Amino acid sequence: MSPLRLGALFRRVVAEIRRDRPSLALLFIAPVLVTGLLTFILREGGAPAVDAVLVNGMGAAGTAITSTLRSAFEADGGSLREVANEATASQALRDDTASVAVVLPSAPAGQPTIRVITYGLDLSGDANQLAAVQRALIGSFAGVGGVALPRIEHDTLFGTPSDDPMASFAPAMVGFFTYFFVYLLTGVSFLRERTGGTLERLMATPVTRAEIVIGYTLGFVLFAVLQVAVLLAWVLGEVTVPAIGPLPEFSLGLGVATAGSPLLAFAVVLMLALGAVSLGIFLSTFARTELQIIQFIPLVLVPQFLLSGVIFPVSSLPEVIQPFVKIMPLNYAVDGLRQVFVRGADLTVSELQVDLLVLAGVAVFFATIASLTIRRDVA
Amino acid sequence: MSSERAAGPAIRAVDLAKRFGELSAVDDVSFDLAPSRIYGLLGPNGSGKTTLIRLLTGLAQPTAGHAEVLGVPMPSRANLAHIGYMTQSDGIYPALSAWENVRFFAAAYGVRGAEPVRQALDVVQLGERANSISGTLSGGQRRRLSLACALVHRPPVLFLDEPTVGIDPLLRVQFWGYFRELAANGTTIIVSSHVMDEADRCDELMFVRSGRVIASGSGDAIRDQAGTADLEQAFLRLGESTEANR
Repeated sequence: MSPLRLGALFRRVVAEIRRDRPSLALLFIAPVLVTGLLTFILREGGAPAVDAVLVNGMGAAGTAITSTLRSAFEADGGSLREVANEATASQALRDDTASVAVVLPSAPAGQPTIRVITYGLDLSGDANQLAAVQRALIGSFAGVGGVALPRIEHDTLFGTPSDDPMASFAPAMVGFFTYFFVYLLTGVSFLRERTGGTLERLMATPVTRAEIVIGYTLGFVLFAVLQVAVLLAWVLGEVTVPAIGPLPEFSLGLGVATAGSPLLAFAVVLMLALGAVSLGIFLSTFARTELQIIQFIPLVLVPQFLLSGVIFPVSSLPEVIQPFVKIMPLNYAVDGLRQVFVRGADLTVSELQVDLLVLAGVAVFFATIASLTIRRDVA
Repeated sequence: MSSERAAGPAIRAVDLAKRFGELSAVDDVSFDLAPSRIYGLLGPNGSGKTTLIRLLTGLAQPTAGHAEVLGVPMPSRANLAHIGYMTQSDGIYPALSAWENVRFFAAAYGVRGAEPVRQALDVVQLGERANSISGTLSGGQRRRLSLACALVHRPPVLFLDEPTVGIDPLLRVQFWGYFRELAANGTTIIVSSHVMDEADRCDELMFVRSGRVIASGSGDAIRDQAGTADLEQAFLRLGESTEANR
């Protein structure tokens, strides 16, 4: 082993990275930003306040329990209001004026069964609400004499309470991985176009900027379509392969249940992919190497991963971050996919309409600014 | 090319200038170039040849002055259909075959059909390698393919930025054969080079130094002007006298 050669290699690596200022900046800034954001979410976020609606079927005993519950929720910044019946309670959940509905039974003979109804699209967010209600309910019943501790039954407005964590995680996963791979493929390909001299040459032809962006989008969306088709088939499908010889029976596919149309889920992801293509073209303007395209991931994709309900429920994110959540395209894709997968939403559901419109708007916005980055003065 | 266009200069530069901050890449350049001739843009690396070509093709915006090609002020997207441009780098897609590359640029210029593609590949003698993936071609073959992409729409004006860099002497001779044939058929060609032994193959020369055209004319006229028998010496001598007069 030659110290001369080792020294030369060491110096070359250091000199190269030292002169690659964007890489150097991202090397230090990206981990600081990502770990800072993560810490902020974990420390400042958490179970959100419970805004409950309550249907009291228990009479006087229920009034005492309601009062104690109200005090408990208000102490944590939440609220409780009584409504006449379960239909009104469900409407409050639907209108997003309540985060949870509590139904006290009308005939509490023996151990009462209390129904706690959550929205149902985001199971981990629902679990936070449920846990807070459970704690408060047990405290309330303990303070009321002559009533046994209740049994709590969880129900959801949309979908069904499921032990399968994939039920609400699968839509987020499909959205995120499509976004990630389409961005990466487009960013790297367009960077090659910029640095390989072909964009310069292309700009010396009568081709327009819009033609380049639309042509690129069509090309990459074809592969996005194939990718989404394979991913959805894998997530939603489940094929049992019978035992063959010494090979035992096994299943292919994740077998996640969907209440809605797979075609509609496909449309949501396709809208997201259109935006990812334009984002890749746009960000390739600021990269000189393929490494730099990858280095944008912690700055552009990781915050979306953390703030779009993929891992942390959006409702549990700190208040100060909520405005940023509203501008994350992935947030609308994850919500749209959950609307389809869990709620079984079709195009008449306003929440899904909003998600699709926002995703289409984002795609048009990034396509416009991407085309502006392709100038005749490309060198 | 229309008869009106043929009557005027094929390429015109009027007080053309391009600055990058403090650096003057092209400095007050004016000329009229008649059609159907080969013009050599000669000068060392970094002298402003590529920037001048980019200004003439409309790929860069001039800081001052303007350029015209075939009588049309540049930049003009429509006029790019009449211009061929071979970049200094190969500017081809390595994952596509030779045929696919030429067909792609043909479509970009609005040319349909297989015949123009076949002809362009035949001109550069790559017909037999049409189906080869470009990334697997030799360096010289890639330069030829790059030229085919610039020729496929039969442009009346052709800009070739250092087309013979890195290619062997035999291929260089072939290239100059193509250029001469194209000029004979009416194409106006600007070839940039820093290799002085290519200068005598051009009809007229423009010596470029520090963004300025320091001499122009035929090789013999420039030799006479500098009082040398050698173009390399002429370039050095004219460069020195220009610096002294600044």
